[in-house]
Amino acid sequence: MLPLEHLHLEHVLQTVSVLEAVVRRSFGPEGGQVLFTQDTGQAMLTRSGTRILTALHLEHPLARMVVECVWKHSTVTGDGSKTFIILLASILRMIHATARKEPKASHSYNSTKTAEAATARYLADKLLAFGLKDLHDLIAREVVPYGCCVTWEDFTAKQSSSLTDNNNVQKLVASFFQTRLSLTHSDFISDLTCELLNKWKSKNGPPSYSLRFLNDNFPALHTRVSGFPISSSRLIEGQVIHRDFATPLSQADRQPIKAVVFNEYLQPKLLNTGEVLELGRGGRVMEERSIVHFSAWTERSLECVIANLKTLGVSVLLSAVKQSAAVLALATQAQLCVVECVSEDELALFAKLSGAAPVTDCHVIQPEHVAKLTFCRPILLGAHRYVHVAFQASEEMIMVEPCSLVICAPVEGQTEQYTRAFHDAICMLHTTWEPICATLTASQKTLESCNFLHMDSQAASTIGPGCVIPASGTFEFLLNRALQKHCHSYTVSSDTSNNFSVSQILATALLSIPQEIYSHNLRCFLQTQTRILNCISNDFHPSTLFYQPGHNSNPIQNGGPPEGGKLSLHCCRKGDVSSKVFVLDLGLESVSCKYQLLLAVLQCVTSLLQADTILRTHTALHTRSHRLANSSPEDTEDEFRD
Amino acid sequence: MSRLVKKSPSVCTDLPLDNADIWNKLVLLRQLLTSCFGPTARLKQVHNNIGGHVVTTSASSVLLPAISSSQPFINLIKTSILNHVSRFSDCGLFAGIFCLALIEQAKQSGLRANVSIRVNRHLLALCTSYLQREDCGCKVNLDFCSSQNLITLARSIISSKPACVLTEPEILHISKLAVQAFLLTVPCTSPGTVSLGRVVTVPVEGHPVLNSAVFPGLLVDIPDGLCLSSADHLCSSLNMVLFSASLAGDLSELGDGIIEVHQGVDTESQILDQLLELGKQVVKDEVKLFMCQKVIHPVLQQYLRSHGIIVVERLGITLMEPLTELTGAQPVAALHSVIPAKAYGKVKDLSIRQFGSKTMLHLHPVGESAICTMILCHRNETMLSELKVVCQKTEHVLRLTLREPSALLGGGCTESHLAAHVRHQTKNEVSEMVSALQCSHTEYLHGVEAFCFSLESVARALEHDGGNSLIDLTHAHHWTLPAGIMKEHMEDSLCSCGCGLVQSSPCRKWTYLNTKYAEFPPAPLLRENTVHPRVLDSFTAKLNALQVAVETANLALEVRYIIQDVN
Repeated sequence: MLPLEHLHLEHVLQTVSVLEAVVRRSFGPEGGQVLFTQDTGQAMLTRSGTRILTALHLEHPLARMVVECVWKHSTVTGDGSKTFIILLASILRMIHATARKEPKASHSYNSTKTAEAATARYLADKLLAFGLKDLHDLIAREVVPYGCCVTWEDFTAKQSSSLTDNNNVQKLVASFFQTRLSLTHSDFISDLTCELLNKWKSKNGPPSYSLRFLNDNFPALHTRVSGFPISSSRLIEGQVIHRDFATPLSQADRQPIKAVVFNEYLQPKLLNTGEVLELGRGGRVMEERSIVHFSAWTERSLECVIANLKTLGVSVLLSAVKQSAAVLALATQAQLCVVECVSEDELALFAKLSGAAPVTDCHVIQPEHVAKLTFCRPILLGAHRYVHVAFQASEEMIMVEPCSLVICAPVEGQTEQYTRAFHDAICMLHTTWEPICATLTASQKTLESCNFLHMDSQAASTIGPGCVIPASGTFEFLLNRALQKHCHSYTVSSDTSNNFSVSQILATALLSIPQEIYSHNLRCFLQTQTRILNCISNDFHPSTLFYQPGHNSNPIQNGGPPEGGKLSLHCCRKGDVSSKVFVLDLGLESVSCKYQLLLAVLQCVTSLLQADTILRTHTALHTRSHRLANSSPEDTEDEFRD
Repeated sequence: MSRLVKKSPSVCTDLPLDNADIWNKLVLLRQLLTSCFGPTARLKQVHNNIGGHVVTTSASSVLLPAISSSQPFINLIKTSILNHVSRFSDCGLFAGIFCLALIEQAKQSGLRANVSIRVNRHLLALCTSYLQREDCGCKVNLDFCSSQNLITLARSIISSKPACVLTEPEILHISKLAVQAFLLTVPCTSPGTVSLGRVVTVPVEGHPVLNSAVFPGLLVDIPDGLCLSSADHLCSSLNMVLFSASLAGDLSELGDGIIEVHQGVDTESQILDQLLELGKQVVKDEVKLFMCQKVIHPVLQQYLRSHGIIVVERLGITLMEPLTELTGAQPVAALHSVIPAKAYGKVKDLSIRQFGSKTMLHLHPVGESAICTMILCHRNETMLSELKVVCQKTEHVLRLTLREPSALLGGGCTESHLAAHVRHQTKNEVSEMVSALQCSHTEYLHGVEAFCFSLESVARALEHDGGNSLIDLTHAHHWTLPAGIMKEHMEDSLCSCGCGLVQSSPCRKWTYLNTKYAEFPPAPLLRENTVHPRVLDSFTAKLNALQVAVETANLALEVRYIIQDVN
């Protein structure tokens, strides 16, 4: 008899609440870090919800299912994993309360528990249906007009002229880092991110191209250095190859420096595995057929390659493998610098940036294999000496300024955290801009036309690309109001009560997020809510929202606003464009990320409530249970889904 | 398959700073580091549970790796300090004590963590900008025309490590050697980018410290019984060759295939013949010194020796780079081709030096060279290993002065001065900062007090013999009042401050460092050339230590949850 465990709504709620309790500690701008040790004993720091949840090594199947949902969501958007859990818990709580109050009137269920479960399941389905059908329009109609659109041109604008809205990208990234890193460093790191994006943006390509390039090549583009304060992090020109020179650096200062990439051994291996060399067969020992002869041949062949490289004017060799001592000695004599054991990622990036192909056969080296560098020198980063190269501008790369990121922090765990946060920020920006490229073919034109938000109320039917909204609960407050308006209209038109309750559930659940953000000071919560709702209701057209200087009172007397910025609203205008949008000094967040988050949570609720029983099987270890026992977040199989 | 073990759930700790166990460990670590601080520090003996050798130390770079805690929170702080030490070699204990004091004070002041973090960060910015100012009252500019300040800097580092067990003249001797070695590694004439040479340290046990010496050039271990024929000394320079490949008769680069050797074929002798060919060429080219990174075949060795060539094998990879720099030789790895003429290097002279049981071959450079060898002698192994660590640190710190030619006053004066400066500065800007940092007036003042108190606690940590720490009310320097002296006789027993720049005078006023005093602007010292500071700290290292300490403390205050993987 298998141990059966019936799942009730309470169980689900309980499990999610436990996860919520963990995640809450690092949620929002007032949240803190989570220190965790890996099974290797290495200590890591994080504020990323996904990492926290996976570090717990949860056993409960339901909890693991939730973690998997979070993991899937955050790999796509790079953001929102903590909000995911809090929203999930809140929605489940609402469903629980509703289901308890009004179990379905039908008497076909034999217990209240089952009736409750059925109602909950029904509500979850309805929620998902609502989310898939109406949510997009609702957000586009009721929330997007209050946000603004960050365009790719904002990146290109100089930081110095960031008087009005040019620093929107910076704000968007800053509020992301505020919840992912520490409050104190978010400004510094976001400036650095913007600088990085500025250097890497190609002026003629779509934004997502640059972002995807950064996203893909990030591992090769950064260097972690521990033992320095975070403020020592910086950008450096060109690329850092994370190896040292294997031969002494020659002092020759020829311009340009020519480099060649090798994937193979320069000195030919005489015998490959499995091959047999017979010496002195049949007694006919010939002097020139001795082992020395073969060994001399490989050396001569190597000399030819080196001589060929010299005629091409090459002075730097990058090699994916460890070369023999003879190669190093001959290269030193020929004044070639050798860099061995360069990782594949770095060589791929090098090839992309320099436009030179790696050499496949070292006897055929053509000019197209030769990369031109402006310099190639050692660079000391922390304890290690690396090779620092910069590229001569070629036609394809003329639009970008290649640069690498040096991430400094006192502890290794922290550099790791900053690196991940950087990567996720790029991922988040990618999600923010991605939709347009997927849906609109003439993306270039749209980008320019949607320079700033021209959201007339009739045109406002989509979530624009790069659409952002003030952070710290604005989205939730606005959507809450929109949902209440929505369900009000339903009650007026006397529609079914289900739609009413569904949007009501979602509306109330959404408020839990700002509540959590302002949990240290609930007065702040009410103040912010009132202010935002006042702003909306006082002005009939969303684009005429203004900030009145005397509107907000002294934040200190109010017990302090929640985070880095003052709670002031100010308008940002651009040139002669008449549309004005209010931007809270609280930072910004991406609307499309929020929308995707809501959908992901609703899907997770549905799938959670669909399970009703856990079967714990005790089978002998075979491949399937092997996977079960090892189930890591990378496992994308849904083994617990019924 | 059967060894597959299910992963166990992680162990969680909520709000680690409220946890009594972690709190006690933090206090213990602070006490431990405090007792190791300064020239009168209490030494620590480290020995492991399986009978390894005992290490006596007070240096953070040796002590901290020996402390292993099961608590990741402690390890976080530990690794942070260690990372700083590995980059800057100095001020590790300063960073540790300051960081732990900050955490303790922030917790005791009862401030919200985020408020403490913001205030700390603001005050750190205040400190770093003050230290980088030209008119900073606790900074001394280093003058490379005179070695006085360099020796003081070296001396401060060496004397702050009592585990070396050095007498006053020995400290001075080693300090001078350290500065001499450092100056030898700086090339005199080299336009463009300067690349520093290196100091090769050779420890010799059982000899008096005063026998330690620095030699330009390289000293290489050689087997006993070698004597130099006097004829060699006549020529102005000697040819030498350096091999990086093994000359033992193996062919390592053939690949992974199988070699079938039929009867009658003697591969070994074929290879040996090839090696002897090399030997013949070397003899023909009048090489006097034959060196190899790896092993040389005994037959080849014998052949070379019989032709009056000095053979040195098994040099190891670490000596290769200094050797090529010193001699200008290019390492040779090709066995089948003629050694090109430019691969040969030159040494000016060779001599044999004897240090205790060690016989060493001294290679003198032909021209000027930035390579030098430091022979360190000490009475026993424990002291010698500590001395070696200290000398390497000193060399590193001296190198740092090339980038930033300044030093900070030692003896606790920088800390007390900085604290007084912070107190004074913050008094003037309370109202602006309160709104910028989003905290209340009292919160801000509490935060400042916690920061200054922590800074002063580092100065107080220098005293281990029950004495009192004082601060004077004009320059805000740190003074030490020996135990058992009443306040009335204070003026007689105090003659100069910790760094030695301020002298006692009847009009001077003091107060205890751990008491509250009315803030005042610390007056900069009048620069007289006659008085030199007695104790100096590395500027670069201390600045970084300050930043790392505050950042680590902030990080520790930010940690709200610990998840320990117990698999």
